[in-house]
Amino acid sequence: MKAVWATVLLGLAAAPVIAAAPAPGDDGVAWLKKMASAARRLNYDGTFVYHHAGRNETSRIIHFVNAAGGEFERLEAIDGPRREVIRTNDQVTCYLPGTKTVIIEKRSARRFPALLPERLGGVSDSYTVRMAGRDRVAGFDCQVVTLEPKDKLRYGHQFCAETTSGLLLRARTLSEKNEPLESFVFTELKIGGAFSRDKVKSQYADKSKDWKVDTSSLVLSDVATDTGWVVSRQPAGFRKLTELKRSIAGRAAMVSQIVYSDGLAAVSVFIEPLPKAQPPQSLLHQGAVNIYVRRMADHMVTVLGETPATTVMQIANSLEFRGAQSR
Amino acid sequence: MERISELMDGELEAREAQRQLARIKRDEELAYCWSTFHLIGDALRGERPLSREISSRVATQLANEPTVLAPRSFTPKRAATYAVSVAASLSAIALVVWIAFNNPLAPTEIAKALPALPPAPVELANLPSEGQMNDYLMAHQEFSPSTEIQGLAPYIRSVSGTQQAKGR
Repeated sequence: MKAVWATVLLGLAAAPVIAAAPAPGDDGVAWLKKMASAARRLNYDGTFVYHHAGRNETSRIIHFVNAAGGEFERLEAIDGPRREVIRTNDQVTCYLPGTKTVIIEKRSARRFPALLPERLGGVSDSYTVRMAGRDRVAGFDCQVVTLEPKDKLRYGHQFCAETTSGLLLRARTLSEKNEPLESFVFTELKIGGAFSRDKVKSQYADKSKDWKVDTSSLVLSDVATDTGWVVSRQPAGFRKLTELKRSIAGRAAMVSQIVYSDGLAAVSVFIEPLPKAQPPQSLLHQGAVNIYVRRMADHMVTVLGETPATTVMQIANSLEFRGAQSR
Repeated sequence: MERISELMDGELEAREAQRQLARIKRDEELAYCWSTFHLIGDALRGERPLSREISSRVATQLANEPTVLAPRSFTPKRAATYAVSVAASLSAIALVVWIAFNNPLAPTEIAKALPALPPAPVELANLPSEGQMNDYLMAHQEFSPSTEIQGLAPYIRSVSGTQQAKGR
């Protein structure tokens, strides 16, 4: 009898493994979709640590969805200089009390559906997606999903999502050498619960009335525009998400923006008239984001994304203007 | 030749780039390719490829350099390699000449500049952005799929840094 039970138990334990065997990446991709949906749909309130370049920054984040499906979110840095970011549906507002500046990023259409299912399908072309066991973060059990890049054009990722809801509790980006570049980790979290509008309002709402306001916006109502600029050698696995003309805080002229993505990482190309103070060619980084600035004839080109510097530079160096011919 | 083109596009790893740069320094023909490729690239992109003082700058630099009296040893190349490279050089020249004739920007300057020395390799150090790129980071963040799975959290990058952008 004992032997029979042992066989049954073994069979049960093996079953999920067998079921997952044909395409192990599919489960991981399904988890990514679950994370995206949880991030949009759940109410949560917690504290997370952003770790990069040997530095830790702690922030509080509150996300709230009302009955009508409206999304409200508040992010506040609780150490270092005071900073607050508020999302109200399609508008993101940054409050920087240190410089008495408000930066408003407004979208004229609905939020960009970056993670559409077909785009996520592309993730497994560029990464090996694996389920990598369970872990525990901020008191919650979580499922580890790893994305190992198939080439050197992108970074590796490790996600840990809360087992039942799918809410992302920890995100790590790994360099080409598999060393951590940056991470976001919840240290304390409450999922669910009723939220009041007050909790997601800016504490600077009144104080900021006489601050400097910079408004960025996407004009031409998010309709894809032909900017005339073309990247002749797109890095493998990257597809063009969108191309538009927009305004950017503090710029008088319109800026062309073209966005490429491999389903997870994105690279933006910004092209604008050469400013009076000519920028030197430069390579910068902020966490896992690399930024490359170069001059092209009478334009300044800024390419940035959460990818290795090579990818950003390849895009910048193969940019061509073909607008004149198409007209 | 392919490696040189990869080097131009910044696709080589640091060590390989060093190796190729050393090759360019040793091999005059590669150096010629290197400068021609740059010239072609600049012309195709419609950049004013060379500043007006290029010839005089090169002349000054040459004048300042010590004259090497001993002639360099010359090893004859195999005929096939030579023919291919001559063909490549000729087509490069043809393209440059074509561009030069079709380019309103003083064609003589382009022609004169051809024998110029390859530009000194620029090595870019990857520096922390210290908040000066926050406006671009903000504008980029909304489009990144990472925002979809992490919500506002990645925006901490856009407002991160010890120095906040002083509102350019």
